Amino acid sequence: MSLSWGRRYLMCPPSFFGVVYEINPWMHREVTVDVDLAMEQWQHLVDVIGAAGAQVDLLESEPGLPDLVFTANAGVVSGDLFVPARFRHAERRGETPFDVAWFVAHGWRVEELPAEVDHEGAGDTLPFGAVFVSGYRWRSDARSHAAVASLTGTPVRSVELTDPRLYHLDLTFCPLDDRRALCAPDAWDDYGTKVVKELVPEPLVLELDEALSFVANSVVIDRTMLMPACPPRVGRQLEAWGFDIEVVALSEFMKAGGGPRCLTLALDVGSRLLDQPEQQ
Amino acid sequence: MATERIEIEGHIIDSLILAKVLDLIVAAGADYQVVAVDIGRTQNDPSRVVLDVSALDDDSLSALLETVQVHGANRLAERDAVLVACDRDGVLPEGFYSTTNLPTSVRLDGRWHPVVNPEMDCGLIAGGDEVRTVPMHRVRAGDEVVVGYGGVRVEAPSKARGVTFEFMSSEVSSEKPKALLVSQVADRLRAARAQGTKILVVAGPAVVHTGAAPPLATLVREGWVDLLFAGNGFATHDMESNVLGTSLGVSIDAGLPIEHGHSNHLRVINEIRRRGSIAQAVADGYVTGGVMYECVRRGLPFVLGGSVRDDGPLPDVYADVVAAVDAMRENIAGVGVALMLASTLHAIATGNILPAGVETFCVDINQAVVTKLADRGSHQALGIVTDVGLFVRDLTEQLCPR
Repeated sequence: MSLSWGRRYLMCPPSFFGVVYEINPWMHREVTVDVDLAMEQWQHLVDVIGAAGAQVDLLESEPGLPDLVFTANAGVVSGDLFVPARFRHAERRGETPFDVAWFVAHGWRVEELPAEVDHEGAGDTLPFGAVFVSGYRWRSDARSHAAVASLTGTPVRSVELTDPRLYHLDLTFCPLDDRRALCAPDAWDDYGTKVVKELVPEPLVLELDEALSFVANSVVIDRTMLMPACPPRVGRQLEAWGFDIEVVALSEFMKAGGGPRCLTLALDVGSRLLDQPEQQ
Repeated sequence: MATERIEIEGHIIDSLILAKVLDLIVAAGADYQVVAVDIGRTQNDPSRVVLDVSALDDDSLSALLETVQVHGANRLAERDAVLVACDRDGVLPEGFYSTTNLPTSVRLDGRWHPVVNPEMDCGLIAGGDEVRTVPMHRVRAGDEVVVGYGGVRVEAPSKARGVTFEFMSSEVSSEKPKALLVSQVADRLRAARAQGTKILVVAGPAVVHTGAAPPLATLVREGWVDLLFAGNGFATHDMESNVLGTSLGVSIDAGLPIEHGHSNHLRVINEIRRRGSIAQAVADGYVTGGVMYECVRRGLPFVLGGSVRDDGPLPDVYADVVAAVDAMRENIAGVGVALMLASTLHAIATGNILPAGVETFCVDINQAVVTKLADRGSHQALGIVTDVGLFVRDLTEQLCPR
């Protein structure tokens, strides 16, 4: 059965996007972002998401917040509840008031995590079946998981992320449907690997170099996969499972360590579309 | 040994976080004790586990805590104990922490200090980087006393393991084979002596009346007793039986009252008062045997506590009961085993001041007496309901075979 979510996304145009600080191993300030190309690539992503049958809502970009484009980190959506992120790095904390304002304006309830934990939203928390799989170490605290679970009423399976290059869960794990997911155990500790193994009946296990091409950072819309790259072995397996693959060029965003999943925040997690707050 | 309490919360069972944290603790060569476990009933319910983590020293403990903190295990939000200065001598501040006899630690400046001398029904005084129990009457104005329950941790009494106290499963022994109990008590005394801990005997006058004074004197002579607590009666009758052959006027040998025997103990007390002390009576050759004699000969510390019904009393008796208990306190450091022999008053007074870890055997013909001690919070007390005369003789035969 296809994913019950992934048909409505929040995105933010890259009007003020750039690599102006370095908070992950992919970011290098000396690398110049081609702003026009970035806008072109982002627009293309919006178009293919729409073509695949999903709805895109827009968050306005803000000067001085280059990473606001990576809406996946805004927070955790669960039904009509939005739990805003608590960014580990001060550079990104300015994004939260704008994220919260959007969700409030669009009818979501907002409940906050305790002040003393870090948690970077859907970047580290992805639904699989009846639970959230949540990563911790580089950007989110293990402690935040208990708070996410209690606020959303959804059990959390914690996975320790061990590779700083794959610093968010959504670079190592990509739910495909109710039985399958892309998994990069090279970026997890043994306990986390065991936990995911228990949870996912048919994992597509990625090699480290495949994971480092950000293949797990794909957007899945029903049977369509929008991928930043598609190593042949992975592509063959996905096609065998009946997925249509579209590789979307996102070279400018990769300079900041982000792929298609990072640029999107699923708004229909944890509830049927009908229960969703109305778009204004 | 450094200990810190941590807490892990969430879906820590299914996420294997608990397993990971426990593995990390063990892998670091540290130890843990589970303080509280609350496992979620369904997979939706979170679980919570509280652990006391112990490592060799503060440094390795902080390193370990840093490691497990990454996995969500946090120091329990604990605060330092609150200290309030006494405003007058002999009076604890309002809301003072009232102690148990269990091992206790107090948190000050973020560090846990074990209480040096656990004793029940006392206050806790912090000073000079240590925390001590102090009975109410001994506090002085300005002493910093722990107030409230915050920052105080009490170790639950652990179930004795292995050979230690295996036979303590039932508290009172009226229907147990006595020979077995006696040999097990003998084993504990041997173990105490081998470990270099002290053996304390608390004796009541019935020890003398039942003819157990000579074997008890043998135990003292042979080094099986390190400390004696008793009252005016025990010491008096012990010396009366040595000097005049009677205990409260009853012939020890014949078991019959002798004429004018009721005044025998008064004459002995009077003679010893004349000489100024029991030690002097021994030096003078007035007392030539018995338990008190052997104590003096061996230089064994003894504390004789007085009471309102005392005759005399003997010059060595503390007429001030508060001073008597203080004198007992001064001597109990290092006691590993306490033998309470047919004594209600002194046994309970002793039970009150002993830390919970001291193995205590309470021998009395009256079941009410032996249960009373355990009821008063002396966790390690075993009651043996039997005639004390037979018990002491059997014990002496086991420890000092002729």
